[in-house]
Amino acid sequence: MKNIFAVAGVVIKELYRRKDFYVLFIVTVLICLVMASVNVFNDAKVARYLKEICLLLVWMSSLVIAVTTTARQIPAEKENRTLLPLLAKPISRPELIFGKFFGCWFACGLTLLVFYVFFGMLSATKEHEWPLLDYLQAAVMHWFLLGIIVAMSLLGSLVFAAPSSNSTICFVIIGGILFVGRHLDQVAASMHEPLRTVVNTLYYIVPHMEFYDLRDLIIHNWPVLEWKYILLALLYAAAYMLVFLTGACLVFRRKAVN
Amino acid sequence: MSVILKTEKLRVEFRNRESRQGTKVALQGLDLEVRSGEVFGFLGPNGAGKTTTMNVLLGFIPPTGGAASLFGIDVRQPIARQRIGYLPEMTYYYKFLTAEELLRFYGKIFGLTRAEMDVRIPQLLKLVELEHAAKRPIKSYSKGMQQRAGLAQALINNPDLLILDEPTSGLDPLGRMKVREIIQRLKDEGKTVFFSSHEMGEVETVCDRVAIINLGELKAIGTVAEVTGTHSNLEKAFLEVIGYKPQPLATI
Amino acid sequence: MNSPRTSCLLLIALLVFCFGVGAALSPQYQFMHLTVNGKGWTTQPDRQSHRLDISRAGGDIFNVVLGDSRRMFAQSFYVKADAYYHSGYYPSMFDNKEAFQTQHMAEDTGAVNSKNHGDEESFLGPERNWIDSFGRHFYPTRHTHLDEGGASGDLSGSEKVGEILPWLKLSADLNPDNPQTYTVTAFWLRERMHKTAEAEAFLHEGLRNNPDSYDILFELGRLYYESYHDTTRARNVWEAAVQKWFAIGDPEVMKENKIVFEQITTHLAQLEEDAGNLPRAIYWLQAAQKVSITAGDLQKRIDEIQAKISAQK
Repeated sequence: MKNIFAVAGVVIKELYRRKDFYVLFIVTVLICLVMASVNVFNDAKVARYLKEICLLLVWMSSLVIAVTTTARQIPAEKENRTLLPLLAKPISRPELIFGKFFGCWFACGLTLLVFYVFFGMLSATKEHEWPLLDYLQAAVMHWFLLGIIVAMSLLGSLVFAAPSSNSTICFVIIGGILFVGRHLDQVAASMHEPLRTVVNTLYYIVPHMEFYDLRDLIIHNWPVLEWKYILLALLYAAAYMLVFLTGACLVFRRKAVN
Repeated sequence: MSVILKTEKLRVEFRNRESRQGTKVALQGLDLEVRSGEVFGFLGPNGAGKTTTMNVLLGFIPPTGGAASLFGIDVRQPIARQRIGYLPEMTYYYKFLTAEELLRFYGKIFGLTRAEMDVRIPQLLKLVELEHAAKRPIKSYSKGMQQRAGLAQALINNPDLLILDEPTSGLDPLGRMKVREIIQRLKDEGKTVFFSSHEMGEVETVCDRVAIINLGELKAIGTVAEVTGTHSNLEKAFLEVIGYKPQPLATI
Repeated sequence: MNSPRTSCLLLIALLVFCFGVGAALSPQYQFMHLTVNGKGWTTQPDRQSHRLDISRAGGDIFNVVLGDSRRMFAQSFYVKADAYYHSGYYPSMFDNKEAFQTQHMAEDTGAVNSKNHGDEESFLGPERNWIDSFGRHFYPTRHTHLDEGGASGDLSGSEKVGEILPWLKLSADLNPDNPQTYTVTAFWLRERMHKTAEAEAFLHEGLRNNPDSYDILFELGRLYYESYHDTTRARNVWEAAVQKWFAIGDPEVMKENKIVFEQITTHLAQLEEDAGNLPRAIYWLQAAQKVSITAGDLQKRIDEIQAKISAQK
């Protein structure tokens, strides 16, 4: 475990020393502050549009950070030749993979913490209330979604040659699942065989990332969810993370690194 | 003296990238032994298989046939690398880290405690003359400084075996002398050093034993004197072993 | 994004864009007047000042950037307002939308011809499999209206319906040619938000963009009658609305919009009845009868007013 956390620590250091996170955060803050200053029929209490815009920016930023940070981990190590001195140490390849995963995932968690604190403060200025449990549920679910994405992106970085192609493919898959994933079985029902079976199989195989999008519940102040459903969703996410990471370990196991 | 580095009929084949047919044999049945406490020079022309041998020893590529072990442990197990230090030919490290952070990172992987690192890291930085730049990111270092940082990370765990891939490549004469001094010091401390080089003069000065490899095959192995034989110097012996015949210069 | 200079330029560009959008959306600066001596801007007009309608300039920004696709965005934001009205419980393109063809936020204003049918409580249908069943815990699945408490069910918070207003405003800015955006917005501003002045200003803006709109005139009349209790203005505006409705000419379009005509005429009838002009009230009820599907009920009202007239004699 020490090796895993050592590698994770370096990944986290890299994230907060790069400018990406700060630029995205500042852009989010600026856009939200401008939108907050908009006068909507002289009503200062209107807040939901602002919450939606802020959460949309938070989601977009977090997805960009998760995918781009993870997609360049292994390729950058290979390109910068830092992989060889690292693997020359008593660290196994699976430990390296898990270290990269935890580093990227924890780094995403830290960025989410900052974003959600900002979101909470912004919505409190308008609504004058702090539904902390709701925000906590949304943040935890969002973090676990990013865990699935990080694991998927890590596997992609070992399968695809260039980080840019890996990132593009990941964004397409993520966007597709978020928008259409819930309805794939309905789409399948309207198709003929064998496409129907293929799409139906896809429906059951793909990780249903839309479970983790609690934005509508947060924006429209729905009551707190039962924790048992949250827990089940987190277990579901953990299972998919394990699947993707196992795939990554298997691919990386026999890959030449010189 | 115990054998701490051993290869037995080591064979490595690659798929031929140019023709996409057949395989290219990088190493053919290499038998090598390095004993504890000696400085061992690994020589060969470009493309002979020196780096491939090192890549197998370090677990970067799996052997196609035969076996390789470090301290009696199969090289494919990460624990085999617990007591070694490695300096690659081209030194690239995490540019966003400082030298101190880099050494701490590698120290953690070797299982060093914080107290041990607090003692060891300043010693190493002093040894490689990087104390003044310890807190600066590596991206601000010159090539020589990066090479010295590389040497420091190779020594962080006080290794029993040091594997150096052309350690003086690209260094000025002063830099090369410092590397030779460090190798000599390690030898005096009873460490084992296994390095590849093109600098025959350097090898003659520091090495106890040498091996010459060409086209994936071991051509000669023994002490410097044994390998030099009747030739005036190691370089001439090397050229004969690899089968070099001087050609008359063509008239321009 | 490797150099600080690139990051700075990107930030500046985004800043300019955001402030531009913010300024375009803000109604405070709709009317700016340049003073006579040209030394500054004022919101207090004088006879010799030059008026610059920056809201039109803001609308032009959308026109330049989006072109005709702004109508598509406008419609999308209009629907989004209805989604907000339902606190996020809204059918996607894969769900059964029979009960949501006419936006409920518009239907509840009472002045829209509704095309909805079917069960609005369960457009999602029965649970199809375990994934669908599990997934329903993570998005809104209960039908609520914001003016009736919304997700929390807190009836005292009916002002929460104001949350739909930003999207309606944006929709109006993107497509000023849709009268329904103005009428729906004004209704909720007046009814729940108690912002009558803002509702009036918005309706006037809608009239400037849609001078022949009987819908907007009707809603304006309701505002004058129900909020300001200004009978004269309400009568004038409603009668103008009736004239605009007759000016449609096309029988099909008139048939399509007969509910609005019925609303206008019944409101006029009520106004005249309250003002004591009973024969005029009967006149308007009879006009309403010609298009109403509840002609029987209207006849009862006519009979009651006739009885009142007889009693007065």
